Amino acid sequence: MNRNEIRDVLLEIIADIDEEADFAALDDHKPLRDQLDLDSMDFLDIVMELRKRYKLQIPEDEYPELATLSSCVNYLEPKLRHI
Amino acid sequence: MSDYQLIIIGAGLSGLAAGIRAARFGKKTLIVDQHYRPGGLNSYYKFQGHLLETGLHAITNFAPPTRKKAPLNLLFRQLQLSRRDFPVREQLGSEIAFPAGSLHFANDPDLLQAEVERLFPACGEAFHQLRRAIAAHDPFASAPWRSARSFVASYLKEPLLENMLFLPLMLYGNAEENDMALSQFVIMFRAVFEEGLFRPEADMRAFLDLLVDQYEGFGGTIRYRAEVEKILIKNDRAYGIRLADGSSYTAEALLSTAGLPETIRISGWQTPSATYSGKMSFTETISLLPNAVRSSIRQDRTLIFYSSSDQFSYRRPQTLQDSSWGVICFPDNFEGIPHKEFFPIRVTNPASYPLWRALDSETYAQEKTACRRAAVQASERYTGPYGQAIVHQDSFTPLTIERFTRKAEGAVYGSPIKIPDGKTPWSNLFIAGTDQGYLGIVGSMLSGISIVNRHLLD
Repeated sequence: MNRNEIRDVLLEIIADIDEEADFAALDDHKPLRDQLDLDSMDFLDIVMELRKRYKLQIPEDEYPELATLSSCVNYLEPKLRHI
Repeated sequence: MSDYQLIIIGAGLSGLAAGIRAARFGKKTLIVDQHYRPGGLNSYYKFQGHLLETGLHAITNFAPPTRKKAPLNLLFRQLQLSRRDFPVREQLGSEIAFPAGSLHFANDPDLLQAEVERLFPACGEAFHQLRRAIAAHDPFASAPWRSARSFVASYLKEPLLENMLFLPLMLYGNAEENDMALSQFVIMFRAVFEEGLFRPEADMRAFLDLLVDQYEGFGGTIRYRAEVEKILIKNDRAYGIRLADGSSYTAEALLSTAGLPETIRISGWQTPSATYSGKMSFTETISLLPNAVRSSIRQDRTLIFYSSSDQFSYRRPQTLQDSSWGVICFPDNFEGIPHKEFFPIRVTNPASYPLWRALDSETYAQEKTACRRAAVQASERYTGPYGQAIVHQDSFTPLTIERFTRKAEGAVYGSPIKIPDGKTPWSNLFIAGTDQGYLGIVGSMLSGISIVNRHLLD
């Protein structure tokens, strides 16, 4: 997957987690949690969903890498390149 | 190779929520329940052709779908359920009635603030301070037990107001006698007074169906009439369950929502079970009334919490039932619930499990009838007269609760000592639900979810 595809997948996962999520004003470089008003339990779901879809294990100490949409893409790009 | 990755004991709300989480992320999961239908404490039954609900009077933690961080909405996201599939109805308004006066509250905390100022003019500012302190307190941080009674008294210094505030919060979720853990008080205060009360637009059966469908849709299996006789243990691990019919299932991990005393009994856990037996249990009298009676009774209240004395102590009574305090519920008095041919009134009073247990079956039946009469009489002072108009009536005692839910001694709020991390002496056996610590429908479901998230998704 390329960067755009990864970004789309992330938005799809978030939309699946939160039906109220509004992406219109989403800034890729600002923390997702504040912008979407999400809980840490919701973040666990993003991690679990990535694991379910791509067998991707994300260790807990690397969760901070998922803070913003662009940091997510940076982090996932090498891991999902061959998918 | 085990039969399942996870076996959950109990298809109550915590077990179903836990099951949905586990199944959603691909765990091969089995839920077993001794009863023939799901729900545990919060279920339903058919009586004289009417569907009657057990357990819930109202669900706490009301929040509109837009308040994303509210526990109710977090719960729905975690279960991947849509609030749109779950239309809800807010309470009309409720009341705390003591001889000295009544406090009215609804899903608007400002109303309670105004009511406190009306009845206790000297306490308005102190109550405001108390609310601020509650908002600032983190009830989920691990901390030693702290007295909620002393905490509240340090702000209000008005025992009557303190009693009035404690009555609904204790009645709806306190396993301890006399006092309450501060953390539990904070959770309950927010759930009842700050967020408020509602019910599903449909009945409990529809809500349980929604949960079971979600669980089965994710591939989970559920077995009813499956009474767990023993949790199978080898060395430091649990490896399965044996049912009363002799069959057994193996699993990589187990989650028990049967309550601590029952879990201790079926696992052979070497610890004094009595420490974890809650003493607070209740009787409930359900009366069905024809619609025509509505005009002569109170119609503008959803719940009336009452105490016939300004002194209020929350403890197991010395008699079968103590009708001097309790809660009256009008299950149809929510915004926009259409009137049907009949409507129920439910009256819940504290009761003594050991005294009910000691009765022979004939006396038990007689006492049940007498307690129903006493409950109706006590409630009529607040509702207006309805005893003569009752078409059908039913009631349950602490023994009924124990028989259907496995909650030892009918203690609906479980053990006075909670296990917040859900751990047991066995590394792959966990507990969730009432005895983990969160109470109520929203709380018990979040309990099931949080224990699965924490220990069972790897």
